[in-house]
Amino acid sequence: MINNFSATQALRHTILIIGALIVILPFYAMLSYSMKSPHEIETNTGGFFGDQKPMVDEWCVKANNPSGVRPSEELKQSCTKTPVVFNYQSAFTKAPLVRYMLNGVFVTVSIFIIQVLIALPCAYALAKLKFWGRDAVFMLVLFCLLIPVHAIALPLYIMLSKVGLINSYAALIIPWTISVFGIFLMRQFFMTIPDDLIDAARIDGMSEFSIVWKVMLPCAIPALMAFAIFSVVAHWNDYFWPRIAVTSDRNYFTPPLGLRMFKGDSDGDVYGPMMATATIIVTPLIVAFLLAQRKFIEGITLSGMK
Amino acid sequence: MKEEVAATVSAPHVNSSLKRAENRAKWVSYLFCFPAVTLMFIILLVPIFVAAGLSFTDYSLGNPDMNWLGSKNYEVIFGRSSYQKMIWATVTYVVVVVPVSIGLGLGAAMLINSVGRLGEIYKTIYFLPVMAALLAMALVWDLALHPTVGIINDFLSLGCGSGVETFFSFGWIPFVDGSQSWYATSCADEFPNWIGDRDYTMPVICFIGIWQAFGFNMVLYLAGLTGVPRELYHAAAIDGVTNGWDQFRLVTWPMLGPTTIFVVTITSINSFKVFDTVEALTWGGPAKSTYVMMYAIFEKAVKENLVGFGSAITVVFLGFVLIITFTQRYLVEKRVHYS
Repeated sequence: MINNFSATQALRHTILIIGALIVILPFYAMLSYSMKSPHEIETNTGGFFGDQKPMVDEWCVKANNPSGVRPSEELKQSCTKTPVVFNYQSAFTKAPLVRYMLNGVFVTVSIFIIQVLIALPCAYALAKLKFWGRDAVFMLVLFCLLIPVHAIALPLYIMLSKVGLINSYAALIIPWTISVFGIFLMRQFFMTIPDDLIDAARIDGMSEFSIVWKVMLPCAIPALMAFAIFSVVAHWNDYFWPRIAVTSDRNYFTPPLGLRMFKGDSDGDVYGPMMATATIIVTPLIVAFLLAQRKFIEGITLSGMK
Repeated sequence: MKEEVAATVSAPHVNSSLKRAENRAKWVSYLFCFPAVTLMFIILLVPIFVAAGLSFTDYSLGNPDMNWLGSKNYEVIFGRSSYQKMIWATVTYVVVVVPVSIGLGLGAAMLINSVGRLGEIYKTIYFLPVMAALLAMALVWDLALHPTVGIINDFLSLGCGSGVETFFSFGWIPFVDGSQSWYATSCADEFPNWIGDRDYTMPVICFIGIWQAFGFNMVLYLAGLTGVPRELYHAAAIDGVTNGWDQFRLVTWPMLGPTTIFVVTITSINSFKVFDTVEALTWGGPAKSTYVMMYAIFEKAVKENLVGFGSAITVVFLGFVLIITFTQRYLVEKRVHYS
């Protein structure tokens, strides 16, 4: 390959590298901002890491000095920290970020589990059982594939608020419990599993119910993994539906909603902690992706296989 | 293994027990389909009718009386200039983001394919934006594009007064007045307020959309490219097709037809759904230049509680989505079948 190095090859790499720099730019900026002091952010100085010169945390001073008189030097001293500590500490103390992250985990995991519990038996029935109306059910699945849930968010919001569920975990989860795509995908996968396997299980006296969970599910692990990645990435990153479903109660905020709160006050000081929060929210999926790239690309582009 | 099973199956008592199992399975299938079908109706189908019904009214949450308005909501959407701007903004976004992100995705895929194993690194990098929460990255772009503290303008102004300015002013091209160019006037005055200036806001929102989406298209095209048989290029070469552009035009592009149709559909639908960047950065402004439909639904129906009107926008939105998908189905069945 090195022998083949030519002007064309150099040109290709140049274009690809310029593209890569543009793609990386915001990630670089995010990390860099998350480590800089407010002053460095405002003046665009300090390079990538910032100078890390200790700074006085004004919030800390204010919090420990309720009387509002001139704060003592001692207090200022105790509230002095390096910018990177200040930013990441504020990310967790200015907003209940841990709670938001746990909400995010709870919501994404619940969505995935419920999707599987509902889609798997239906996919099995569509792929392997003969019953009157099967074609109708499959047609329904194909039709529902055309409906993006985001597009019907408004009527869902109205229906949920009619039953008093707005501002709850249920509101965040319910619209995603049915994954038509999951049904379709698993059906296609089950079609490839030989009937003999199911007949053998029946002869062994297994009920249809245990065939689904003890025979089909283990066979479907690779497809399920891809679907899990697809589902988790979509719902961890989703901002539109949580923004609608959780209107006021911060207890149910997901990570993107929590991050959005930093944008409200355009006070320059918030940039550092905001970027620290963004870094914390984005990191888990990016790290997971870098560790299991092939699986992730497979999962995300899964929708391409229909 | 297979023969063994076949042998056992043929034994009469086993056969009857299998029959019984199959009979039982008939009833079980309804049980298995019931939750999914119920949820499909409640979560996916009923809302469409709810939206369609409410779109003819002035319904709002917490307001007991609701009036039948007939088609008035739709007349407002298609008649009043601020909502014409909404449709215009949405369509502009889609018409810019779809072709550009697909072009870049295809270009990146072909370049990556041609550089051998090093391509993996670029692939990983280009896919990063797909994984990152768009809202978070939108806020980063917002800060990076800030008119005074942002790194973009800071970086651009580095070139001012040097050879870089001379080069990008294009004054060296005959008959071009370099001092009137974008770069020279920006250097002389100031670099744009990307998100606040109406001339730049929509392009910036589109840019972020493209930045986020093209890696996804690239991966689909990479998969598509592996499906193009090598022999086709050899066959084409025998027929005298040796230059790169002709190879692309006559072999690669037609073979990628099915991938392209799929990529266009999914990118269009995703672009129609643009919301995060607009809600976080522009609130539909300035002067409604980025007032896209999803944001309009959110603003009117959720924030201002004009549910009836928001429902009408929802119905129009669904109309757009259905047009795209039916076009796709039609094209898939009509043309692109090369196997």
